[in-house]
Amino acid sequence: MAEAMLRASGLTAGYPGRRVLFGVDLEVRTGEVVALLGANGSGKSTLLNVLSGFVRPTGGSIRFGRAELAGAPPHRIFRHGIVQVSQARDLFPEMTTEENLRLGAIVRKGPIERLEAKVLARFPSLAEKRRHPVALLSGGEQQMVAIGRALMARPRLLLLDEPSGGLAPRLVRAIAAIIGALKAEGVTMVIVEQNITLALAVADHVLVLRDGRVAERHEPGNGADAEKIVRAIYL
Amino acid sequence: MLPQLLVSGVANGMLYALIALSMTLVYRATTVLNFGHGDMAMAGAYAGLVFLGFGLPFVVAVPLALLLLFVLGFLVQRFLLRRIMQGPHLALATMALAVGYALRGVARLRWGNQVLNLPRPYPAGAFSIGSVVITTDAVVMCGSVLVLLGVLLLLFRASPLGRTIRAVFQTERGAALVGINVPLLHGMMWGAGAALGAAGGILLAMVVPLTPDMGEWVLVRGFAAMTLGGFGSLPGAVVGGVLLGVAEEVLGFYLNTVFINITAYVVTILVLMVRPRGLFGRRALIRV
Repeated sequence: MAEAMLRASGLTAGYPGRRVLFGVDLEVRTGEVVALLGANGSGKSTLLNVLSGFVRPTGGSIRFGRAELAGAPPHRIFRHGIVQVSQARDLFPEMTTEENLRLGAIVRKGPIERLEAKVLARFPSLAEKRRHPVALLSGGEQQMVAIGRALMARPRLLLLDEPSGGLAPRLVRAIAAIIGALKAEGVTMVIVEQNITLALAVADHVLVLRDGRVAERHEPGNGADAEKIVRAIYL
Repeated sequence: MLPQLLVSGVANGMLYALIALSMTLVYRATTVLNFGHGDMAMAGAYAGLVFLGFGLPFVVAVPLALLLLFVLGFLVQRFLLRRIMQGPHLALATMALAVGYALRGVARLRWGNQVLNLPRPYPAGAFSIGSVVITTDAVVMCGSVLVLLGVLLLLFRASPLGRTIRAVFQTERGAALVGINVPLLHGMMWGAGAALGAAGGILLAMVVPLTPDMGEWVLVRGFAAMTLGGFGSLPGAVVGGVLLGVAEEVLGFYLNTVFINITAYVVTILVLMVRPRGLFGRRALIRV
């Protein structure tokens, strides 16, 4: 079995006056997709934000390769190759699709034209709207820009926070197809998702969080079904 | 008479534009209104005076003064403001004000109530085009500010650093998501704001007496120009500054000379009452 790319252990974190994570352990191997599921407030997004440096853990360790990243700021974690697509997308609203994508590679050295062409080939509808301000794009297109911007950084580990959140079913299928294609190409991912069908379709491992702790672990490939996981989340 | 008033007003207004622009840079980057900005401009002028006093030529003394203020602005953000950035806005504004008063205090300790002048590196004079008299001060003021604006425009529009700054201006979290070191950029913008403010202070101290209280004059006009142009708008800061300069001259001549001193206050009050977004108003950028 491959060596773990990311090994988080004993993670505790929270916000002033409120603890959210209570000793979470998580391992991700190269090429794997790990889905974090759980009810609202279970700590999924906080865990993702701890991994990307936006929330500083109060305890525990995050080993990424040989580096210890617990408590490192977001820009340093980014430089190690951990890139997040946030739930709110956080695009640059006054810039075009193209400018947003290019900013994804702002800290990279060297030409980015080939990389940009490759990313746009993945999202044909964006290629047609490369000069449009992102604020005028639909929710689904904005999500594609957010994923495309993250891919411009050539992530070693991609963190996706509710990629299907707030999208119409047709667009959810489109996003699911993109995530499936990324998995097929060997992109390592951690996904926070409310859409259990989507998560089970791509995940190698599923962690169900409850009250800031890992309540259950499942492997969809080994017969874990959606009903069992829904019960684990909500009952 | 009107053409003469317009020329004088535009020359003063360019200076206000530079000051408002430097305050806007800081505001857009960190959503903090630097109430100590005028005192940083004053400190820049005194720094220039000190370096000139060492016998350095003007072309060396001024860049050194700007560099010193860049470092000062950076350090103020890094060590005094960064740790309270997540705190209430009032704390940030009070800290900025306190830094300004501290600088004013240092200047008073060293120079007391002396009225000094920064020597011009060019001959003072004037020439006329038709009935309009144009001073060399006005030419230097406009020329210097236009050059600085051009450099800033080029930096913003055509450099990776400019794209990085624009990204942080639009969404800090988005900028951090693409690997930009946002806290470092905050510090750099405070440094750049202080250095540009110092450039304004140096230009001003060549034409009016330099005193430790000069900062208040600078702050009021910068604030009024920002308000008129629209808080957070870079083009608005420039247009607001120029319009303010012209308004001072025109109202001062046609209504009463007292308007030269109170137009900035009147403009601030009127704009906040009638159109709080100013001319090029953006939606309010409130840090939460």
